Amino acid sequence: MHIDELERYWLIAVSVTLGVFTAALLASVFIFGVRLPSPVGRIDPTDLANTEFAEPGLRDMGNGQYTAHIVAQMWNFMPREIRVPVGSEVLFNVTSRDISHGFFIEAHNANLMLLPGQIAQVRVKFDRPGEFHIICHEYCGPGHQNMFGVIIVEGPATAGLSE
Amino acid sequence: MQAVQLPQRSSAPMVFPRVGMLTSERWLIGVHIISALFALSFGILMGPFQTFRRAPAFVHAFPEWQIPVFSYYYQALTMHGVMNALFFTTFFIVGFSYFVTQRSLQRPINQTMGWIAFGLMFLGLGLILYAISTNQANVLYTFYSPMLAHATFYIGLVLLAVGSWVAGAAIFMTYLAWKKEHPGERVPLAVFAIIVNQIMWQICTIGVAIEILTLLLPASLGFLFVTDVQVGRALFWFFGHPLVYFWLIPAYVSWYTMLPTQAGGKLFSDSLGRVAFIMLLIFSLPVGVHHLYADPGVSAVSKGIHTVLTFVVAIPSFMTAFNVGASLEYAARKRGARGPLGWLFRQKWSDPVVVAQLGGMILFIMGGFSGLINASLTLNIALHNTAWIPAHFHMTLGGAVTLTYIGITYWLLPMLRGRALFSNKMALAQVWTWVVGMLIFGHGMGTAGIAGAPRRTDVGMSPYLNETATFWLNSSAIGGFVLLISSILLYANVVGTLAFSTKPYDYEPPIAHRGDPNSPLWLERWGLWIGITLFLILIAWAPVFVESLNFVDGFNAPFFNPARPSPITP
Ligand code: HEM
Ligand SMILES: [Cu+2]
Ligand SMILES: [Cu+2]
Repeated sequence: MHIDELERYWLIAVSVTLGVFTAALLASVFIFGVRLPSPVGRIDPTDLANTEFAEPGLRDMGNGQYTAHIVAQMWNFMPREIRVPVGSEVLFNVTSRDISHGFFIEAHNANLMLLPGQIAQVRVKFDRPGEFHIICHEYCGPGHQNMFGVIIVEGPATAGLSE
Repeated sequence: MQAVQLPQRSSAPMVFPRVGMLTSERWLIGVHIISALFALSFGILMGPFQTFRRAPAFVHAFPEWQIPVFSYYYQALTMHGVMNALFFTTFFIVGFSYFVTQRSLQRPINQTMGWIAFGLMFLGLGLILYAISTNQANVLYTFYSPMLAHATFYIGLVLLAVGSWVAGAAIFMTYLAWKKEHPGERVPLAVFAIIVNQIMWQICTIGVAIEILTLLLPASLGFLFVTDVQVGRALFWFFGHPLVYFWLIPAYVSWYTMLPTQAGGKLFSDSLGRVAFIMLLIFSLPVGVHHLYADPGVSAVSKGIHTVLTFVVAIPSFMTAFNVGASLEYAARKRGARGPLGWLFRQKWSDPVVVAQLGGMILFIMGGFSGLINASLTLNIALHNTAWIPAHFHMTLGGAVTLTYIGITYWLLPMLRGRALFSNKMALAQVWTWVVGMLIFGHGMGTAGIAGAPRRTDVGMSPYLNETATFWLNSSAIGGFVLLISSILLYANVVGTLAFSTKPYDYEPPIAHRGDPNSPLWLERWGLWIGITLFLILIAWAPVFVESLNFVDGFNAPFFNPARPSPITP
């Protein structure tokens, strides 16, 4: 098969560029530890009362570490509001009681699908004071556009508060 | 105009008139193109009004105001996605594939199969229009479980798929008959690509067929009450990614095999075109997990494997950029273009058929780069399900694919009607307003997405939008308005051509009857390519299903009617 010389250079350049991209991405996950949503565990969505999600809310684990259990349902998050001091790190365990929802924290690289039957997990560090919305970004019926929660990060009232 | 009757079953080679059309050809292809434009008219009408509803400034200024006809936002959005992405595309692709296959191979598509396929797909269209317009299928075009629509919605989808399978079988039969008579000859590149497309389609639709037939349809008929949402999503995206190449390959057929002639030159490399299409076949199936990066039930390892393969599937598109670019350069130099970049400007800017495809390419550049960003699994965490994603695929699907199909329509519709296009000027205005409108719309949506605006949301009154997102959503509505004008120009020209054009039609569609004899024959060893494809599917998808399929602890999510927060019970 005849391949034009210029085209061969083009193909090599493209392959090398894409190869470098791919290597960087894989390194970010498998070497530098950027966490992707991964299987944590299954749960019976019709029986959350008998699980760790029976009483959703925030738990202080000491040393600035928190664990939050959040249940998404048509059309709100439980609890709706969470308050943590600035600098804390929160491990979110989230699931859905009914259909699929989304879990997106404004300005914080937290982006999960919440599927009934699956527990989703993400760890987020809050180092800026302010109010950040948790937005349901997966269509979940007529109330979807109003489904949100709030994370209030309380801190020393420095200048440059985000909101 | 010739009106020769096409022999019904005979597989004898036949000659098609160069400029006119055979009666049977005109009918079979005509009904597909008209049905495609009919479906698109529903979808395209919704789009601009969705942008208005998503613009807080607009909603606050006109709070009473509703989307025309399908006033509920998620009904309109279901209509938009289903009609544009599933019905417009499939009807157009089947009709165009018939045209290219018949004409290139000079053999008729089996008429009986062609009409059966059309009947099935058209019935499917009717059922789905019924389900959506009666508000019984507000589940969007991805119809994720455990949301449930009326059974007619799923039956409509099944009919569309089965119809397209029959169409594919008819195309394979025509190809095989040709092959038998032309041993050792290369099939024309256009047909080569269409065969690739049909093979890919027959394999990938199996995923969604399993999802519909074993989970959704039984549930909608009242036989099944629980499902596994992660498994459903995996089955859908097994189909969903090849779907985007199913749309793109016919556009590539036009870019590779028609545009070079239309632009006044010839194709740079036939064989590398073939290699690109084979790569699209092999690598478009094992990449679907890139739609599931944010899903909790798929491991990071599977996500990594699909990321690597997603970057591989970008290569054939870069090859296409070179090959088509070189062909356009050749055409322009023949016309006297000078300097290293002069050819970029010396194109046939007065021919809407050419300009529509070039406009599609301009948008495709944006689409390709935003696609590479989406594919980057860690960047995706910032973008998944935000308005950035529709911004991306309105450059590819709404831009490159749709504009190329519109470009094809600008010569195929006149050919079907036997009259020239109603207005060239109107067509040029349509293309440019589409390009500009999509760029404004896409830039607004993309930036709003980065600022956190969600997609698939009636977001105009949402309590959580920040200022940046609000600003850029408002700006995207300006793009929506320009696109509304563009859509009106498109349909005015379609109706004008069908009903009012008086000028005779004298355009000869660029069809090659044989492939380049220098391209290697081993590229047509389909058994080999299908084998490699199946092998990669196994490697890439088996782990996903092994980890998500669990009949003991899985399959425990009840179905819901999206309108009500209580499960559907026996
Ligand atoms: C007239 C020009 C168009 C405009 C103004 C437009 C506008 C939009 C908007 C605003 C959305 C996102 C809505 C949301 O996420 O809430 C959307 C979604 C979509 N559009 Fe378009 N669109 C246009 C043309 C097209 C075309 C030509 C196609 C395909 C052939 C297309 C396919 C889609 C698809 C598949 C979706 C996703 C639907 C979903 O998320 O469920 N659009 N469009
Ligand atoms: Cu929602
Ligand atoms: Cu994809």
